[in-house]
Order: sequence, then C-alpha cells, then structure tokens
Amino acid sequence: MDKTLMMINDLKKKKLIKDYAIGGGIAAMFYIEPILTYDLDVFVITSKGGKSGKVIDLTSLYDFLEKKKCSWRGEHIIVKGVPVQFIPVDELEEEAVRSAEVMRYKGVHTKVITPEYLVAIFLRAGRKKDLEKVERLLTQANIEMKKLKKIVHAYALEKKLSSIMRGGNA
Amino acid sequence: MRNRPTIVLYGRKRFTRKGLLAEKADFHRKQAKLPFEEKIKILVKLQKIAKNIKNKKDIFVWQI
Repeated sequence: MDKTLMMINDLKKKKLIKDYAIGGGIAAMFYIEPILTYDLDVFVITSKGGKSGKVIDLTSLYDFLEKKKCSWRGEHIIVKGVPVQFIPVDELEEEAVRSAEVMRYKGVHTKVITPEYLVAIFLRAGRKKDLEKVERLLTQANIEMKKLKKIVHAYALEKKLSSIMRGGNA
Repeated sequence: MRNRPTIVLYGRKRFTRKGLLAEKADFHRKQAKLPFEEKIKILVKLQKIAKNIKNKKDIFVWQI
C-alpha cells in the first residue's frame, strides 16, 4: 500500500488534484481495530470547482493513472495492487480533508481524515456498516467530544449521534 | 441472590460474566492500538478468509 500512497501523492504533486485525504474503512483502521474492507476511499478536492453540482471532471487524474498501468475493476481503479475509489468532496468532506492529519505508512506520508469527521461522515451515510464503524470509533478511538459535537451540530447530525450513543440505531 | 455475579467455568478457570465481557472489550481496545502496518497485514488475511468462505471470484485480495 506504500506504493499506492506514493502514486496518490504524485497526483497532488502534479497538481491533478488540490488535496486529498483517506476516508472510509481504511481511515477508520488508523484509529480502531482491523475491520474487513475491500477498497481505499480517497476524498479529493479537485483543481477546478465542482462544489455547486456542476460536472466534476476527473479525466486527467484517471489518464495519469492509466498511463502508469493502473487498470479498472468495476468502479475502482487498481493502484499498485489496491482498489481505489476517488470521491470528489462535498462541503462536509472538504472540511474533513482540510483538517485531516498527516500520518505515515512504511515511511510514506499520507493524509487521513480525523476520527471526529469520520464519525460525522459515517453518521450521515447511515448504512448499518457505517454505524458499526461509528460505534467502534466512539469506543476505541480518542475522540474529542467538543470537536465532534461542533461538527454534528453544523451538519444536523445530532439526533443520529445521540441515538448511537444511547445504544440504538441512528 | 439477584446481585450475585454469574459465574462461567471453563474447566479449572472461573470467570464472572461481567469480567468476560470486560476482557473482550479490553481485547478490542488493544487491537485498536496495533501499528497500522500490522492492521493492514490482518486486513489482507481477512480478505483472503472472506474470499475462501464466500467462494466469490469477484473479491479482490490486495496485492501488496
């Protein structure tokens, strides 16, 4: 996965994306016990717009990867042996990317979404598997509750969070 | 009687039910503190197990 991350870092160096951070199950695994997941979610801030529902063009990014012999597998592109999904950010995710932490994997630097933003993103997605991750993050990660409450308040996720914290489904 | 803890016996070993659950929670917290590199190794093992159990060709095991 170190080579995968190096190639993703190249996308930023070559200005094909403005910024990125790892999200999803792999990001959660930085803070919780290992869980089964099959892909690497990469939230990207693109170089051009895309905020207001316009077309987001990731052609140059995929062209670059295809030239590096990355192949498609369904909706994923295999980058050095790892299925990757590039997800253009919305407002919440953009905040998450901008405040992501720099981590290292086998000496390679990468940005990872913080546990507080992960909780918010998973709460909003609301599928059973997302809520399971929220429960694990709340019990196993060092969550800054003040920070989390501020985020869930801003995105109207308070009810979902309190439901999970009471032990129910959001 | 109601306040007495439930005892679980495994041969000579003796646990309370509460103690067993606490131990389990503690195990998960310790797993969460493993180095990320170690977690990725475990993930790949989980993917292999899932592929074998489900016998699905479309499950992609990371080639790392």
